[in-house]
Amino acid sequence: MSDSLFIEIGSYQEHKASESCFGDAILSEKLPEEQRIISVLSDGLGSGVKANILSSMTTRMAMKFVESDLDLVRSAEVMMQALPVCQIRKISYATFSIIDATLEGKTRIYEMDNPQCFVVRDFQQYHPAHHEISSENWKDRVINVYQFVAKEEDRIIIMSDGVTQAGLGNPKYPLGWQRDGVWKFIENQVRRHPHISAKDLAEAIVKEALTKEKDGKAGDDISCVVVYYRKPRKLLLLSGPPFDEEKDHEIAEMIDYYDGKTAICGGTTANIIERELCLKCEMDKTSFDPNIPMASIMPGIDLVTEGILTLTEVYRMLKEGIDENKDNAATRLAKLLLDSDKIDFVIGTKINEAHQDPNLPMELDIRRNIVKKIFRILQSKFLKEITVKYV
Amino acid sequence: MEKIQVKICAGTACFVMGAPQIQALEFSMPEDLVDKIEVTEVRCMNHCSQGKGYNKGPFVEINGEVVEEATMEKVLTKIRDLIAKEEEEKC
Repeated sequence: MSDSLFIEIGSYQEHKASESCFGDAILSEKLPEEQRIISVLSDGLGSGVKANILSSMTTRMAMKFVESDLDLVRSAEVMMQALPVCQIRKISYATFSIIDATLEGKTRIYEMDNPQCFVVRDFQQYHPAHHEISSENWKDRVINVYQFVAKEEDRIIIMSDGVTQAGLGNPKYPLGWQRDGVWKFIENQVRRHPHISAKDLAEAIVKEALTKEKDGKAGDDISCVVVYYRKPRKLLLLSGPPFDEEKDHEIAEMIDYYDGKTAICGGTTANIIERELCLKCEMDKTSFDPNIPMASIMPGIDLVTEGILTLTEVYRMLKEGIDENKDNAATRLAKLLLDSDKIDFVIGTKINEAHQDPNLPMELDIRRNIVKKIFRILQSKFLKEITVKYV
Repeated sequence: MEKIQVKICAGTACFVMGAPQIQALEFSMPEDLVDKIEVTEVRCMNHCSQGKGYNKGPFVEINGEVVEEATMEKVLTKIRDLIAKEEEEKC
């Protein structure tokens, strides 16, 4: 994908307090070959498992239809016909908001019965041109279509009605938080934190909505997706000594001239860079954790960690979530990865003999295996743009 | 008296063999040793790859002398022996 623009997608959800699963569904995909991203948010009729089935089916179908560039009215008809009919209400129903955006900025938003989206440009609401379409068979279902060319630093925010109606039933918010209230909060957030990430903004909106609710308990499913167009945050992660020692200087130069953040994972790798760039590396005692080797501090490098144990823990956290209460080398690396959009892995393939000793614990995997797992999860779950180079 | 230098290897192999338990020495030093030792963690000192064996870790250097298969108890004993020896020499 291009270096000039990056589209970050972040989402956050709370389910209705009385339910154990989400009635809203969110599905986002990147189509790298088309330099395009699609994100779908759907609110299923009712709440709990039934709503979850309706919204999950809707997001999945909508994703397929939009991806294949099928006619939207026809697609919406198929979706409505395919959804199971609610036994109580005798209708099949789920709302949707779809963002279809390319890295050139060409953006389309389709909305059916969800609260109207926000487009934020220069800290203000931008109102793109839009038109309505509806099907012959479902005249009461109107789809709003917005079309515009997004610019760097634009944001799109789509949400379920759990956000705008947060607080209904609470005497302080008789009509709920409402669109104006949500906008005031968004405006305040982007003015105070102009570079707030998509994920952090989505989380802030949902958490703020929750504060409007009676006793802080969600009266409905509350979901939000933020799409943020910006310059990519780049990270170079160097791990492992090159197979051929003659390449030591090459990787050192790579890190020296890189136009983004840099991280080194591995003691021997750090030694190579220290030697080749004449830097001084010291242990960072503030990262002490009995389970993860300490990080080190090297001038000009954003993070230096041990290799295989730290990477293994990072992979576990990417799967299961980062432990916010810890501040060790692995949590720092995981956060650095998640804060980056474009990550260039440079992996040395020299096998560390020490780790192959059968007397050592089995957790010492081969570097290439664990890195492969990390970049796959970064691509599929976190939609990061990844390149990998083996040296 | 010069402080006794204690270097704990923080390499991967030493770490999995138990170095963190010895690193704790730095954060909770026994009172009698507070002014007498200086603890530092260092990246792999290569004792494992230079003949001592990868499974002989964790390695700790105490005033340059290598302690292999180090434990907190082993390290503390070694430090106290050194202090006793130095005090004996002084007398």
